[in-house]
Amino acid sequence: MKRRPLIIATAMAAAMALTLSACGSGDGDDSGKTTITFLSWTGEAQMTPVLDAFATAHPEIKVETSYSPPVAEYIQALQTRVLSGTAPDVFLIAAENKTNLIDGGHVVDLAGEPFLDNVAEFNQETYGRDGAVYGLSVSSWAAGYAYNKDLLAEVGYDAIPETWDEFLEMCTKLKDAGITPFLESVDQMPTTISSWVGAQGASMSPTLDDQIFSGASTFEEQWTPALTEYNRVFTEGIMSKDVVGLDGDMVRDEFANGRVAIINAGPWIIAPVREAAPDLNFAYSAIPGIDGNAPFLAGAASPGYAINSKSSEAKQAAAKTFLTFLSSPEGVKVYQAQTNDVTVTSDFDPPVDEAFAPLAGAIRAGDLYLPMISWQRSEDILNVEAVAQIQRMIQGQITPAEVAKAMDSKLAAS
Amino acid sequence: MKAPMWRRALLSVVMITMACFVAIPLYYIVINTFKTQADMVASPLSPPTEWFFGNFKEVFSDPRIFRSFANTLYVTALSVILQLVVGAMAAYAMVMRTSKLNAFLGGVLLLGFIVPGQSTLIPLYRTLVGFKLVDSLNGLVVMYMGGAIFCYFLIQGYIRTLPFEIIEAARLDGAGAFQIFWRIVLPLIKPILFTVGVFQTMWVWNDFLLPTVFISSPGKRTIVLQVYNAVSEFTTDWPMFMTVSVVALIPMVIFFVFTQKHIVNGLLAGGVKG
Amino acid sequence: MTALLNRRSPAGDAEKIGGRSTRRGIGGGTAGGWKQITVNQAFLLPAIVVFVFLFVIPLGQTFYWSLTDFTGYSPETNFIGLHNYKVILTDPSMLAGLSFTLLFGVGTTIIITALAIPLAVQLNKAFFGRNFVRSLWFFPAIPSMAILGLVWRYILSPLESGVLNSVLKTVFGIGPIGWLSVDNLAKLSVIVVGVWGAVGWHAVLYTAYLQSIPDDYYEVAKIDGASPRQQFFAITLPLLTPAMVISTFLLMTGGLKVFDLPYTLTNGGPGFSTYTITQSIVVSGVGQGRYGLASALAVLFTLAVGLLAFGQLRLTKTIERRFT
Repeated sequence: MKRRPLIIATAMAAAMALTLSACGSGDGDDSGKTTITFLSWTGEAQMTPVLDAFATAHPEIKVETSYSPPVAEYIQALQTRVLSGTAPDVFLIAAENKTNLIDGGHVVDLAGEPFLDNVAEFNQETYGRDGAVYGLSVSSWAAGYAYNKDLLAEVGYDAIPETWDEFLEMCTKLKDAGITPFLESVDQMPTTISSWVGAQGASMSPTLDDQIFSGASTFEEQWTPALTEYNRVFTEGIMSKDVVGLDGDMVRDEFANGRVAIINAGPWIIAPVREAAPDLNFAYSAIPGIDGNAPFLAGAASPGYAINSKSSEAKQAAAKTFLTFLSSPEGVKVYQAQTNDVTVTSDFDPPVDEAFAPLAGAIRAGDLYLPMISWQRSEDILNVEAVAQIQRMIQGQITPAEVAKAMDSKLAAS
Repeated sequence: MKAPMWRRALLSVVMITMACFVAIPLYYIVINTFKTQADMVASPLSPPTEWFFGNFKEVFSDPRIFRSFANTLYVTALSVILQLVVGAMAAYAMVMRTSKLNAFLGGVLLLGFIVPGQSTLIPLYRTLVGFKLVDSLNGLVVMYMGGAIFCYFLIQGYIRTLPFEIIEAARLDGAGAFQIFWRIVLPLIKPILFTVGVFQTMWVWNDFLLPTVFISSPGKRTIVLQVYNAVSEFTTDWPMFMTVSVVALIPMVIFFVFTQKHIVNGLLAGGVKG
Repeated sequence: MTALLNRRSPAGDAEKIGGRSTRRGIGGGTAGGWKQITVNQAFLLPAIVVFVFLFVIPLGQTFYWSLTDFTGYSPETNFIGLHNYKVILTDPSMLAGLSFTLLFGVGTTIIITALAIPLAVQLNKAFFGRNFVRSLWFFPAIPSMAILGLVWRYILSPLESGVLNSVLKTVFGIGPIGWLSVDNLAKLSVIVVGVWGAVGWHAVLYTAYLQSIPDDYYEVAKIDGASPRQQFFAITLPLLTPAMVISTFLLMTGGLKVFDLPYTLTNGGPGFSTYTITQSIVVSGVGQGRYGLASALAVLFTLAVGLLAFGQLRLTKTIERRFT
């Protein structure tokens, strides 16, 4: 007979919670305001100051913000809402959903809007098609190599060499000195491969991906050299095959603890590494080139703010005011201070961590390449396939050419 | 029944040692909530070099955490009680009257276990939009009612093991179906109600998939969504992630410690009273 | 107590769910008449409503979409017949997750059952610290798989600094082992973590059933001179078969549908070695805008899991009938 009090207690708790949730929903003083809804990609702690600044600048517009953690959860939440007609007025267009959002006519063409004037061409093109622009992307990210200066100094280097052969030579020296030379997480497309394909495509016209996707060329032709060179770190015993079981956070922690000399990394590791190892002497470098290509970076324009084409005109107008603020120097400044992103608007100069400074110029200039976002269709299908096949290559199960062939047959099948 | 003292002691030692091994991940999670990110990176498994309470302070400095708790409590309490009631009723009906139709229905209901949840998410969302139950805590409760099928399945298996003479005697005394259900069957199936109830509580309390898709207003967030505040595109603030997780889990641990006695001691007591 | 000794189940032995018996239970038409039947069936109504609303309708919708080129973004779709099914059955990579899905489903079901029953028997005995031990065993069922996956990733990290590897090194002097980076070890790791996560809860489930075995049975057996081992095989195990039917059914259906665990622990890797069908469904539907295809895969998968699960249910029922 002890059951009853428990049931009553839970029922009471439930009733209390109900009253609590009932009284919070209606805010009184919104008369005369336009309310727009916004699904943020950036976390709440970082986005709130930006939204507060906007509220001060534009009291006539109320932004109702919700949050969903990137990437998969965000894409899922947005997809469900778009399909059901409950999508927010402003949301993010990203590599994973841009094709579907544009094909389905869910996003407003922003081309010619004044708030795009100060935005780098590269960022506009990333979320555009045929001259239309569907997203306001105010920043970019890039990943290169982060290296431990002290460990490199032990074998007589003060920077990452510019060519892959020299790089491997240095790694061998590190290894001989008893230092783990290099770790790269391959739970994603390896940074190194992305940068090489990007470097190779930088000078091509029509672009490398135009050629592959039009059928003029193949992954086998364009990717095999890069995959073959990459495989050398494994066949020559420089990097353990065990990296297929690592993610970026684990690689970062090894680096912060001084257990590895070089890792692949983007700017997001700076804050945690500085916190974990304040004395670690490290810097970033672009990725050494192959085939005589210059060092290059893997990276992309950050997801862009897009406006829902199904929203009413009044809401679209308010949404444009919101986007205007987000690309204005004031807006970018607040945003940059929170996220430490390298922003790409021409009228604001983002402060950059000194370690990361070597990469900032290329980011602002848009000299970046990320396969998944440059591919023209079946992006995710190809990416999933490529990552899995590269992992198999690393384990020695297949050859580099077979990886590229598998990508070709995926493309052909889709 | 009483085993000799030394055997009980030996069993204690063996069982406690094993359980401690099983609980290493628990230790890992809890210990890291008292560390800075730096400390965690340096040595994730060792005790903190200096006990750090900043993570907890940060979690509780956000008043919305309490609101999220209230939301989660509401959704969990209501939906688990409803699941148990619906499941127990169905199990009762199925066991009390075994016709061809019921045997068929019993089989069909099991489909509920087989459909992969992720594939029905979008159709369900669209249906709920029609009922204005999207972005609503009650909508979440409706979604969690799917768990009633799980409850049904476990409870029906248990009811079958009950001494049926008690029910028959009550029927001969002129008790109605509802009376039998409420007065006799429910007390008798207490252990399984608690077992299933505990399990469903854990599920609802911790579920991330449904709230992330169905809830958009910050005021209606459940506690698990707060956990994911620590996740960003390229990296995750793990100490923060674990701290919010632990804060979210404390009520569950307390809940389990208090309810597990019922799982174990319920039936015999109930049987004697009935 | 006499009532407890007669352990005939209300519905007799033959009419378990899914069974095809025509015998009526005591509450059936013979005893109560139409009014009672109606009242009885009314108890089923809420469950039926839930089932139709949350399972039948969405599944119907999924089936319809499986016949279209639905992208998951626009409600306008074109009917393309069985094309999606053809793609799945002809493109071997769509089924990349099949072997691991089966391995995980069957493997965890067998291992967990074999471990949970003896564990439940021990947890049911009186010993010092029992509640504490039970709580610890149950603990893995509490946190979400996302956080447990992370913790295990650190424990099983293939690096020398990984938790397990550093223990192995200091205690046994063995070099780093690629728990998550070698195909077969990764499969094993995912299964072990899966077992770890569920064995405690299933033991608790068995404990609940153990409570319904009257002490008298054991006392009679003891007087007859049965050893503890004989008692286990002659009394405990047979009387636990109803629980086994349920537990293995849950394990099998849950195991075949597994998603969170391999997703957070290995993300399907290395290569496709721990890729599951459910991951394939989610990736195609959400990430790739091939919702029609994902729906077709979901329909085929539902059918396959159904066949397997019901086959297994029949099997365990047969075993149960033999023992009770």
